[in-house]
Amino acid sequence: MGSKLVARPTPRVRVLLFAAARAAVGQPSLDRVVPRSGVRVDALLQQLSSDYPKLAPLLRSSRYVRNGRYLASSRGRVRPGDELAVHPPYGGG
Amino acid sequence: MSVRVSSRPLRGAAAMEELESRDSGAIVVFSGRVRPDRTAAGRVVALDYEAHRGPALARLAALERTARRRYGARHVVLWHRVGRLRVGETAVIVGVACGHRAEAFAAGRFLIEELKAVVPIWKTERARRVRRPRPRPSRPAARSAGSGRAR
Repeated sequence: MGSKLVARPTPRVRVLLFAAARAAVGQPSLDRVVPRSGVRVDALLQQLSSDYPKLAPLLRSSRYVRNGRYLASSRGRVRPGDELAVHPPYGGG
Repeated sequence: MSVRVSSRPLRGAAAMEELESRDSGAIVVFSGRVRPDRTAAGRVVALDYEAHRGPALARLAALERTARRRYGARHVVLWHRVGRLRVGETAVIVGVACGHRAEAFAAGRFLIEELKAVVPIWKTERARRVRRPRPRPSRPAARSAGSGRAR
């Protein structure tokens, strides 16, 4: 009996970018490969700062929303399949 | 409760209709519109508004609950428009109905200030560079007996 090879999807987190964050990166979202165990949000942000230097100052003043809920701190984790939204300072009204 | 984030135009009269009731002695409606500001980039002709819709609606609903609890608001309208808005168009309407005017004004002020601070909505200016008229080349001074500075 032959064994079947089942391709496992690459574990990714989708990063949503709004307003100035989108302008700094040049696109509205990014998919980042993460370990299957997940990664701390601050580590992911550090990677993004390195890859997109224009984004770095904005990340320091942004708020973060994981799967629709605000994160109290960037020490939380994101796991494959999660969506992390980057919210630069707001400007409605 | 009436919270909304939409690309459809906003009408102050519709907000008033939503807020009118027999039990409220005071209604305050604030309407924020796009101004033709002058900036370093030129004159603002439009603002592009965007929102993270789910969290924005959740935060608007939380503001509405706070206005009810803190100011005794009986009816609240929190409407924000998204998309491209030209000068003069309404971007936001905040309305509140309370028993008396003091609470209604206080609640309205609280709601618009908090909306700007905590609701995930952003605007980007679209400006048009203002052309300044070129200065005319100065004519050579006329030579006449009457010209010249007075002594």
